[in-house]
Amino acid sequence: MSRLRLGYQRFTSCCGCQLTLLNCEADLAAFDAAAEVVVFPMASSRPDDGGRLDVVLVEGSVSRPEELSALLQLRRRSEVLAAVGACALTGGVNSLAGTDRAALCEGVYGETAAEKTTFPPQSLSRFVRVDIELAGCPPERGELLRTVGALARGGLPALAEYPVCMECRCRENLCLLLEKGQPCLGAVTRAGCAALCPSFGVPCEGCRGEVAEANRAEQYRLLLEVGLPEGEVAARMKRFTGEEP
Amino acid sequence: MKTLHLEPLTRVEGHGRVELVLEGGELLEARVALLEAPRLFEGLLLGRSFAEVPALVCRICAICSSVHRVTAAAALEDALGVEVPAAAWRVRDLLLVGGHIESHALHLFCLVLPDLAGVPSVLELLREDHPAARGGLALKALGNRIQEVAGGRAIHPVNVEVGGVLRLPERSVLEGLRDDLAAWEARLPSVLEPFGDPAGYPPSSPVVGVGLCVKASAEVLLRGETLALADGREVPVEGYHGLLSEQPSSYSNAKRAGEVLLTGALARQGREGLADSWPGGIHANNAAQTLELAWALERARRLVDALLDADPAAPLAGAVRPGAGVGTAAIEAPRGLLIHHYAIDDLGRVAVADIVTPTAVNQGAMEGQLLADLKGVDDEEELRARAERIVRAYDPCISCAVHVLNVGGCKPGG
Ligand code: SF4
Ligand code: SF4
Repeated sequence: MSRLRLGYQRFTSCCGCQLTLLNCEADLAAFDAAAEVVVFPMASSRPDDGGRLDVVLVEGSVSRPEELSALLQLRRRSEVLAAVGACALTGGVNSLAGTDRAALCEGVYGETAAEKTTFPPQSLSRFVRVDIELAGCPPERGELLRTVGALARGGLPALAEYPVCMECRCRENLCLLLEKGQPCLGAVTRAGCAALCPSFGVPCEGCRGEVAEANRAEQYRLLLEVGLPEGEVAARMKRFTGEEP
Repeated sequence: MKTLHLEPLTRVEGHGRVELVLEGGELLEARVALLEAPRLFEGLLLGRSFAEVPALVCRICAICSSVHRVTAAAALEDALGVEVPAAAWRVRDLLLVGGHIESHALHLFCLVLPDLAGVPSVLELLREDHPAARGGLALKALGNRIQEVAGGRAIHPVNVEVGGVLRLPERSVLEGLRDDLAAWEARLPSVLEPFGDPAGYPPSSPVVGVGLCVKASAEVLLRGETLALADGREVPVEGYHGLLSEQPSSYSNAKRAGEVLLTGALARQGREGLADSWPGGIHANNAAQTLELAWALERARRLVDALLDADPAAPLAGAVRPGAGVGTAAIEAPRGLLIHHYAIDDLGRVAVADIVTPTAVNQGAMEGQLLADLKGVDDEEELRARAERIVRAYDPCISCAVHVLNVGGCKPGG
């Protein structure tokens, strides 16, 4: 196993995805053995040597010109680019602020607003090729570690392509949606968290984004049936996907 | 005239820059610019159902996600007149102390310890098998475990909603946690040892800023109805706006408080008259964090015991009737005072949202401290290194600070 030259960069985000990496407390030494950290401002003061990277993990959405040029540079520098977390994959909760940011910014910053150029937060894949998508808000610790481990061995990580309900049923949970009438989004959400929230007894909020071929219409109908008003069903289904159901 | 730019600041949460303005080698001005992209949280909440707020605002910041979630729920409960059962507050308090432990351990061992050891990151310390690094990371893991037990997840916990909590942690899980907490008692002092030695910190002038924290009861140190200042002033939480009126600034994306105030572990310890006798200036904030870690572990143990004794059938949430109202809540986040304030319309939608974060409050103090500590230092390398450490000592949380758009004047949906 060769040691990867690795970067971790974040844009518009809450730092939760990189904190997830630092939350792999017991495995940080193994992580360090698999990857040499070349850039990772929150964790390391080592100055960036500007050289080629084997992999760059990118957290956050792009909402400023500086972020966009940094992203383009990282893409050129790195063999593999992994988008980490809902913000990077879909814009995440950042994108809920709507599109008229100039008005919001001016209301706040007055005359200095022009210096604070910002545009609606967007996913990385709007601008560059993304090689690996790590879903979640934040992703699971294991997924981050397995991804770095797989890359260090010259492979790619195996990521789930089925809905959270599959994992939830494997854990033999009571179904919160069908048996308890709670607004669970597991059926349309990409798995990989081992049904973390439903197993704790709390409905899935869809933070891992949508699974391929999600039956949104049926999910919408089921949430109405649970008793949620229409506006709230739409708001919930949109929270981490940025898309109208 | 010459300006040194320190950017990016490393080993802090979020993206910021320090600007040091020099004239003939003499430091004239210090500016702390918080440069996160504006995320417009207060704007994006407008018009949304109050019920969605806790899950959204915890995403302001991952390190503070537990305290954001609990503070938002408490402010909305204040607005809607909800009675939250005692059992729910026990679970929430456990979540809050778990967040405190995780955050302080992250700060001390991953962000500060590398400075004390003269290496770029905690990864080098692990490679050298540094005993405090290993112990510190285990302590950090304990904080995460507590948040998982009480909140369901370590980051962006799911167990807190407006009204109370959704469930009690399972008995067997609580019992396991109780044993781990007991085992930590003997281990803690040696793990915290590197931070107690004043000689490990750079020389420093006295702390700048009037201490500000929540006036707390003996039992619950993190929540309260009144804000207390070190000069003896007291302000009811609802009156926070007069005290903290935030102003925009041309060089930072965070608004700042009008008066120079200091909030955080050192200000909280000052509440007990402890901090005055400490050397180390603002670096004593790190020593204050170690005292809080000991308090938090002890508090966690008592909360777990109380939960184990609790009646499993007792209610965990009060009745929530959506309607118009205005509410405010203040809770001590790991790095200082956090305030959430909301007005709800009669359909239960957010009409006003205002969130004041500790790092925004501390900006003025950081700049004053930089000036006071670095006056007379003319070596550029030394200026850079010391400035970064001074800012780091506050444990700034920049993502939090630039949620910050106080959308006064903007219409819902605007
Ligand atoms: S995806 Fe979620 S956890 Fe990750 S940075 Fe965005 S808001 Fe934070
Ligand atoms: S509880 Fe949620 S995730 Fe689990 S099976 Fe039911 S709908 Fe799916």
